[in-house]
Amino acid sequence: MATFNVHVTIENKPGISDPEGDTILNDLVLKGAHKTVSKIKTAKMLKFTIKEKDKKAARSKIQKICDELRIYNPMVSTVTIDVFNA
Amino acid sequence: MSLEPQELAELKLNIGRDPTSTELQIVAAEWSEHCSYKSSKKHLKMLPMKGPLVIHEKGYDSGVLDVGNGYVVTAHIESHNHPSAVEPYGGAATGVGGVIRDILSAGTRPIAILNGLRFGNIETDKHARWLFKNAVTGIADYGNCLGVPTIGGEVEFDDCYHNYALVDVAAVGFGKKKNLIKNHATNGDLVVLLGGSTGRDGMGGSQFASDSLESEDRSAVQIPDPFIEKLIIEAILEARKQKLINAMKDLGGGGLSCAVSEIANTLEVGIEMDVDMVHTRESNMHPDEIMISESQERMLIITSKTKLKELQKICKKFRISCSVIGHVKSDNQMHVKKGKKTFANLPTDVIVNATLLDLPSKKPVYLKTIEKEKKLRPIFDYSKIMMNFLAAPNIASKIWVYGQYDHEVGIRTVIKPGHDASVLRLDNGKFLSVKIDGNPKQCYINPREGAIGCFEEACRNVVCTGAKPIGMLDHLQFGNPKDPEIFWTFLESLKGLTDFANHFKIPCIGGKVSLYNETPAGPIKPTPLIGVLGLIDKKPLIPQRISDGDCLVIVGDTKDEMGGSEYFEYIHKFIGGKCPSVNFVESKKNMKVVLKVIQSQLLKSVHDCSKGGLAVAISELCMTNQIGCRILLENVPGEKLDVDRILFSESHSRYLLTLDKKNLKKLETMLKKSKVSFKLIGKFRGKKIQFTKGTKSIIDLRVDIAQKTWLNSLKDLVLHG
Amino acid sequence: MKVGVVVFPGSNCDRDMYHVLTDVFNFDAQYYWHEKSLPKNIDAVILPGGFSYGDRLRAGVIAAHSPIIKDVQKMAEKGIPILGVCNGFQILVESGLLPGVLLKNESLNFMCKWTNLIVENNKTPFTNQFKLHAKIPIPIANGEGRYFVDDDTLKQLKKKNQIVFRYTQVVNGSSNRIAGVCNEEGNVVGMMPHPERAVESEINPVDNKPSSLIFESLLVKMGVTN
Repeated sequence: MATFNVHVTIENKPGISDPEGDTILNDLVLKGAHKTVSKIKTAKMLKFTIKEKDKKAARSKIQKICDELRIYNPMVSTVTIDVFNA
Repeated sequence: MSLEPQELAELKLNIGRDPTSTELQIVAAEWSEHCSYKSSKKHLKMLPMKGPLVIHEKGYDSGVLDVGNGYVVTAHIESHNHPSAVEPYGGAATGVGGVIRDILSAGTRPIAILNGLRFGNIETDKHARWLFKNAVTGIADYGNCLGVPTIGGEVEFDDCYHNYALVDVAAVGFGKKKNLIKNHATNGDLVVLLGGSTGRDGMGGSQFASDSLESEDRSAVQIPDPFIEKLIIEAILEARKQKLINAMKDLGGGGLSCAVSEIANTLEVGIEMDVDMVHTRESNMHPDEIMISESQERMLIITSKTKLKELQKICKKFRISCSVIGHVKSDNQMHVKKGKKTFANLPTDVIVNATLLDLPSKKPVYLKTIEKEKKLRPIFDYSKIMMNFLAAPNIASKIWVYGQYDHEVGIRTVIKPGHDASVLRLDNGKFLSVKIDGNPKQCYINPREGAIGCFEEACRNVVCTGAKPIGMLDHLQFGNPKDPEIFWTFLESLKGLTDFANHFKIPCIGGKVSLYNETPAGPIKPTPLIGVLGLIDKKPLIPQRISDGDCLVIVGDTKDEMGGSEYFEYIHKFIGGKCPSVNFVESKKNMKVVLKVIQSQLLKSVHDCSKGGLAVAISELCMTNQIGCRILLENVPGEKLDVDRILFSESHSRYLLTLDKKNLKKLETMLKKSKVSFKLIGKFRGKKIQFTKGTKSIIDLRVDIAQKTWLNSLKDLVLHG
Repeated sequence: MKVGVVVFPGSNCDRDMYHVLTDVFNFDAQYYWHEKSLPKNIDAVILPGGFSYGDRLRAGVIAAHSPIIKDVQKMAEKGIPILGVCNGFQILVESGLLPGVLLKNESLNFMCKWTNLIVENNKTPFTNQFKLHAKIPIPIANGEGRYFVDDDTLKQLKKKNQIVFRYTQVVNGSSNRIAGVCNEEGNVVGMMPHPERAVESEINPVDNKPSSLIFESLLVKMGVTN
């Protein structure tokens, strides 16, 4: 068994609006001098620390947790899972 | 989205050719149950809609009442059941948004939100808890951000909503009568789309709401943006002030398809529009998608060419997009183009007039035996039962819910949530009392009496604040209307509401029908929800603190009507028995005399007696005032009944009056004169809730312990399961 | 006696504040849109509550970048009384005019309820009519209302008498039960509770007199009344 840090990023699916990201872009960033930014998307990240036998097992375990416990609502959101060695 | 084969044939016959794909989408949206009311419309006409205070104008999505001194109140009710059942946060939030825009489209400022929430059994079902928690957060985040106070509502749990959610939202608006939008349009006027951008979200939502859940493809979810909605409210009210709006309509179910066709048809004009002019969120959207997208926070405005610049200036100030998407013509056609190419060109009356159905109905078989009571297990310890009862999700305090809603913003809220009805102060010195009530448990057992009961309960609640009911909103929620047994329950409820409205001369000022509310386990119980608005000319009865020695008088009889009661269903797990029924004559007499004694300022408070019966209503008085009581059950007026029936029967037309002892004589004289059934049943004192019958103690509870359970159990259940 | 009420996109207590200033206390109040500048002859500035920019990113942070904030900063330096209520407080904190930060409530929920405050500093333009430690019944309505400072800053705040209001009980988990603070000079005050919701007896279920003193203090400060 090894320890892994797993980052779970939850964000709205493509095509689903993200009013918070849009407001931060239009009313904060673009109003300053930073005109090269074209998109901001908000997301929520959960950082898990987990003991599993390998990276693959860690990933599938976390995916299962996310699905089973409705950590994200697949109606509107997607999750991206990144696994790192602790 | 699609039409039924015979509907397609009708459409072809009407226009004399095959419709284009865009035309099909437009017509399918407009002919959906959600937009056309095709199953219910024929029957809804029975409700009385007129009254001395009702103002009728062309094309309003909300009802309007004249409250005097040049002011009006607007009100509307809607639901967002299907979307909330799959994405409770967004579904509930956008439900608030939709009904707020209906208020706005009359040109009035929204001043209050109420909501009725229904879910499955949250004690046993984790998913129901998830739905409940997120729907509440959705409503809170949306309403709080808008700065429109959420002043009341109700929450109920029942197994029939397993894996489902009913989210009903009512909103109230206020404004000057002279500022009401008088919808009109003339040839050459511009059609402007204002607010959020159009995207692929919420595609086909109205169709979605007209199907049962198991068959939908679950794509019709909308993302709420309360910030844009708030800006729309301010921009529209500013534009109204500058008289820049000729006509206005909210984009709701069916998106542009319904808004454009309905406004054109109402105003008897044609509209030619170009989908390329619509501001979209995504590029490469097909015209069909643009026409039926139900993206939120959008308004359609018709303005004159000369006023456009000013309107654009206002939109710029409030940083919201506005696009001129078309213009008004005199040909009564809805003409949709993309650039030069025509995608749809239909007579508006064809689009908006779906063929109305006359569905068959048949009395449900289950009703034949439902009134028969089973033998109940005997209860030995009513104190213990009472403690369980106070913790029951349907009885427990809803403070966890309304504590998350800003109910003070707008500084109108005179009587705040947690009482019978909430009361708002109006600018003309009068007060508006509002309440919504539903009772699916009783409506299931007797759809007619149950619906009347909801209506009377809502009236009772506003009467408790000293208000006279002046208008009603109805929201009729049922299963699949094509099932004749379900349709029968719909008709029975409607007839009951109509009879009550006629007898009490309370006009129906608005309403909504939501059908196809089905879960995998079957249809929901009939769930009509009734909102009542009451007006107080002088002073509301703000509940005063009850103190030692104060008296408790009950008005109204307690009867053997246990069907659909919380006691039967929660304690005995029994669905059945005789449904409480309203005696119109008694009901009117009681209402009248309660209003009269409130006006004579003899009382400290009036509390309605409903869910959970007398035992719960009196305990609520004790717990909110942190004072004990001694109640003599043998004094409770009505038939001679067993103890459990006196305690827990949910008979209607009952009011609990609290008062200082010194006013008792005067009160009794007034009540005697009006020939209502009443009795002094107890006194407040000490720190214990005590019910006795003869020499026997029936319930004996410490107020502080009861209060703790009552206040915290819902929160504990939601947060810790 | 000119009082400016600053309005941001998403402010929603601006009209309530205006009503109280004009109809209850007879101030000469004016709205100022966040893109406008404040006139030089203004006597006090109030940032009302609401959800400026929908509370996105962090309550108050986007509004803190509004053009009008530069004027508010100048006024603050000149010693003109400035009050931020709820979202207005959050904006003052985010624009650096007041110390500390406002975090999500401990319950993680929006909270709307009546609370009690204790006046800890009766020298500010908004509290000069209170007795020290006077009690004020007043409602809160916020999601990000938990005032937080680290221990060192807290010591400084205490030393410099910058704590203006504290809750009588733990409400949302804020440091030292702080509900409102002021700058070192005392002319800029921020508070989470809503005084404008408490000054009229019709809507105040407890007692409207204490919170009225907040506005009466300003009248005294401006020399309108003694």
